[in-house]
Amino acid sequence: MNPLAQPIIYTTMITGTLITTLSSHWFLAWVGLEMNMLAFIPILMKKTNPRSTEAAIKYFLMQSTASMVLMMAIISNNLLSGCWTTTSYINQPPSLMMMTALAMKLGMAPFHFWVPEVTQGTPLTSGLLLLTWQKLAPISIMYQIHPSINIHILLTLSTLSTAMGSWGGLNQTQLRKILGYSSITHMGWMMMTLVYNPMTTIFYLTIYIILTTTMFLTLNLSSSTTTLMLSRTWNKSTHLAPLMAPILMSLGGLPPLTGFLPKWIIIQELTMNNSFLIPSIMTIMTLLNLYFYMRLIYTTSLTLFPTSNNTKMTWQLENTKPMPLIPPLIITSTLLLPISPLLLTFH
Amino acid sequence: MIMHTPIMMTTLISLTLPIFATLINPYKKRSYPDYVKTTVMCAFITSLPSTTLFILLNQETTIWSWHWMMTQTLDLTLSFKLDYFSMMFIPIALFITWSIMEFSLWYMNSDPNINQFFKYLLIFLTAMLILVTANNLFQFFIGWEGVGIMSFLLISWWHARTDANTAAIQAILYNRIGDIGLILAMTWFLLHYNSWDLQQMLALNSNSSSLPLVSLPLAAAGKSAQFGLHPWLPSAMEGPTPVSALLHSSTMVIAGVFLLIRFHPLMETNTMIQNLTLCLGATTTLFAAICALTQNDIKKIVAFSTSSQLGLMMVTIGINQPYLAFLHICTHAFFKAMLFMCSGSIIHNLNNEQDIRKMGGLFKTMPLTSTSMIIGNLALTGMPFLTGFYSKDLIIEATNTSYTNAWALFITLIATSLTSAYSTRTILLILTGQPRFPAMTNINENNPTLLNPIKRLTMGSMVTGFLITNNIPPTSPPQPMMPLYLKLSALCATALGFLAALDLTLMTNKLKMKNPSQVFKFSNMLGYFPTTIHRTIPYQNLLMSQNLVLLLLDSTWLEKSMPKTISQAHITASMTMTTQKGMIKLYSLSFLIPLTLALFLMM
Repeated sequence: MNPLAQPIIYTTMITGTLITTLSSHWFLAWVGLEMNMLAFIPILMKKTNPRSTEAAIKYFLMQSTASMVLMMAIISNNLLSGCWTTTSYINQPPSLMMMTALAMKLGMAPFHFWVPEVTQGTPLTSGLLLLTWQKLAPISIMYQIHPSINIHILLTLSTLSTAMGSWGGLNQTQLRKILGYSSITHMGWMMMTLVYNPMTTIFYLTIYIILTTTMFLTLNLSSSTTTLMLSRTWNKSTHLAPLMAPILMSLGGLPPLTGFLPKWIIIQELTMNNSFLIPSIMTIMTLLNLYFYMRLIYTTSLTLFPTSNNTKMTWQLENTKPMPLIPPLIITSTLLLPISPLLLTFH
Repeated sequence: MIMHTPIMMTTLISLTLPIFATLINPYKKRSYPDYVKTTVMCAFITSLPSTTLFILLNQETTIWSWHWMMTQTLDLTLSFKLDYFSMMFIPIALFITWSIMEFSLWYMNSDPNINQFFKYLLIFLTAMLILVTANNLFQFFIGWEGVGIMSFLLISWWHARTDANTAAIQAILYNRIGDIGLILAMTWFLLHYNSWDLQQMLALNSNSSSLPLVSLPLAAAGKSAQFGLHPWLPSAMEGPTPVSALLHSSTMVIAGVFLLIRFHPLMETNTMIQNLTLCLGATTTLFAAICALTQNDIKKIVAFSTSSQLGLMMVTIGINQPYLAFLHICTHAFFKAMLFMCSGSIIHNLNNEQDIRKMGGLFKTMPLTSTSMIIGNLALTGMPFLTGFYSKDLIIEATNTSYTNAWALFITLIATSLTSAYSTRTILLILTGQPRFPAMTNINENNPTLLNPIKRLTMGSMVTGFLITNNIPPTSPPQPMMPLYLKLSALCATALGFLAALDLTLMTNKLKMKNPSQVFKFSNMLGYFPTTIHRTIPYQNLLMSQNLVLLLLDSTWLEKSMPKTISQAHITASMTMTTQKGMIKLYSLSFLIPLTLALFLMM
C-alpha cells in the first residue's frame, strides 16, 4: 500500500471506531461504523490479487447491508419514540432490526457465511484486524442497547453461532478459515451473557482479542496459512512449535489456561439465572472447537511431520519478520488464570 | 430266628468280591468272566432261601449299620430295607444277571476287553441292588447315579463309534433332567421332614404338598424314559446286546418306577399326581407302541416295546396299584431280557445284521432261538397263563374298573393291541418266509453258553408268573367282579392286533408297495421328537446368545449407539455446513428471510 495513504487509512479506521464508541447520538454512531467499514476495505486489499478483491467486495456488500438495516432501525426508533440517544430504551421492532444488523456485522449465525471467506481472502494481518478490531464498534453499540434486546432471539443467535462455528471448523485445513469459524463461535459465547451481565461480554471480548492476536501473530511469524505449512514450524522457529499447544488450548477453553476463564464466568452467570440447558449445549458444542485445535496441535507440537531436506535448515537463518509483542502476548494468553480475581474486579 | 437277613446281606456282599478281586489279585486261575458269572450264580442261589423265608414269615427287616455322617439335624446311616419289594426283586435280578452274563460269555467272546465288560456289569448290578435295598434317599441316590454312570460306560462300550458316544451322552443328559426331580424331592424332604429315611417320610404324611409329588414323577420320567424324556432309550441300543438286555429292559429303566412304588403311600392321597402319572404313562405307552410299528431294527423294536411296558407300569401306579406295577416289573424282566438275548443270537448269527428287512426264514435254521422268541412275544402280549398274563391282564382289568381318566384307559387298550401288532410283525418278518440274508451266512446256535440262558429264561417266561402270584403275601385286593366284556377286553384287544397285523403283513407280500404315508412317516421318525428337540432348542439358545452378546451388547450398545452415531452426526453436520457455494445472493437472502420472519413473529 502506498506509504502516504497508509496512515490516513489506519487513522480513519481507528477514528471511526472511536466515534462509534464515544457517541450518544444514533446518527453519529452509524457514521462511525461507515467510516470504519470504508477505511477497512483497502486494508483488506493490501495484496492486490483477485482473491483479496473478492473478499473485500463481499465484506463491503455484507457490511453495507447491515448498516442500511441499522439506519432503518434507528429511524424507525425515532419515529416510534422520538429519541436519538443511544442510552435510552429502544422499542422492540427497531431493537430486533438493530440486533440482526449488528449480528451480521459481527458475523454471528445465521449471517456468518461471509466470515470464513473474507478471512481467507486477505493476508494474515488484515485478517487479524478483521477479527479483532472490527468487533469493537458493533459490540459497543450492543452493550448500549442491551436492556432492550429480545432474550430469545439473542440466545438463539448465540447457540446457533456456537454450533455453526464448531461444525464449520471441523472440515477445514486452511488456518484463516479455522480462525474465522473460531471467531464465530466466540461471538456466540459473547452474546450469550449480554442480557444477564454485559460486563462479562466485555471481559470475554478482551480475552478473545488477546488470544486471537497471539494466534495470528504467531502464524504470521512463519507465514503459514495452511495446516501443512503450520507443520513446518518446528523447522522455522523451533521454540515456537511447542508454544502453539498452550495457545490453541487456551483458545479452546481448557483449564488451567486463560481461555477457560471467560467461559467459566459466562457459565456462572447463566446458571445464576437458572438457565442450565443452554450453557450445557454450548459447552458441548465448543468441544468440537477444541477438537480441531487439537488437530493443529497434533501437526505442530506433538508430531514432527516429514519435510524435504531444503526446509530442514530454515531455523538457522535469521528471522526478518517483525515480532511485535509475541512473548508477552503468549504469556498473557496462557497464564492469566491465577490472577482471575484481580481481573474480575472489573466486572 | 430271622435268618433271611444275614443270608441276604451275605448275598449282597458276596457280589462285591469279584470287584475287589480285580484290584488285588492280578493272577486268575480261570477266566475272570467265568468267575464273575459263577459268583452271580452263587449269589442267586444264596438269595433264594432268604426270599423263601421272607415269604414264609412275612417279616420285613431294616438293617441300620454304619453311621456315615451326623450333622446337627440330619443323620445319615448305611441302612438296608429288606421288605417285600427288595426281597422279591433281588433274586429275580440276580437270576437275570446270571443268565445275561452267561450269554455275554458267548456274545462278547471275541472282545479283548471282556474282563472289563464283566466288571462293569457287576458294578452295575451292585449299584442296582443298592438302589433297591436303600432305606434312605441318600443311599438311593448313590444307587441311582451309579446305574446312570454304568449305563453311560456300557452304552459307549464301543467308544470308537460316534453314534455310541452320542447315545451315551444323550442318556446322561436325559437322566440328568430327571435327576432334577429327584434332587428337588430330596431337598424338600430334607427341609420339611428333616430326614431322608423312608420310614419317617412315609409316616409324616402331614401336609402333603404337591411339590415332592411332582418332582418324583419327573425323576421317574427321566430314568424310565417316559414321554418327553424318552429318546435316550432307543438310542441306547448302540450298546452291546447284553447291556441292552440287562440295563435297558430289566433293571435300570425300572428304577424310576421303583422310586414311585417306594413312595406310594404319599401318592395315595393326592389325586392330581395320580392323574399326572396316569396320563404320562398312557401317552408313553401309546407313543412307544406307535413308534415300534414301523422300526426296522430288531433292537429298536424291543426297546420301544420296553418303553411301552414302562408306560404301562406308570399307568398302573396312576391308578393306585403299586403292587401290580411291581409284579409287572418282575415278570416283564424275564421275557424282555429273553427277547433281547434272542435278538443278540440272531444278530451274531447273521453276521451283525440288525435290520429285520434283511432277515427271514430263521425258524428252520435257528429253532431254539425262534421258539424262545415266539414264547417271549406271546408272554409280552399277555397270552393267557404265560408270565405276562398274570401281571398285564390284572393291570388291564384294574384300569377298566377304576374310576379315573377314561381317555388314558382307552389309549392303554389301543397300545395293548398295538403291542401284539408289532410283535406279530416282528415274528413274521424275522422267522417266517424266505430268507432275505446273504446265502453264505454261517448260522450256528449250538453253543450251550448261548442256549442255556435262553432256555432258563424261557422256562422263567412260562412259569414265573404262576409261581410268583401264587406265593406272594396278599397285597392290595384285586377286583373280584366285573362284566364279561371287561374281563375279556385285554384278550380281545390283543387278538385284534394280532389278526390285523397278520393280515396286513400277508397283504404286503401280495400287493404293490405304496409310498409311505404321513402316518407311517410319523411313526418311523419317532414322532419327529428327536429331530426337532435335539437340534432346535440348543440352536435357538446359541443363536440368541450370539445375537445378544455380539450384536446387541458389543456392536450396538458399546459401539454404534453412542460413539459412531455421534461422530457420524457431527461429520454430516460439518460437511453440510461447509459445502457452500460462495454466492452473495444466498448470504443476503440468509439475512433477509430470518429478519422478516423474526419481525413478523415477534410482532
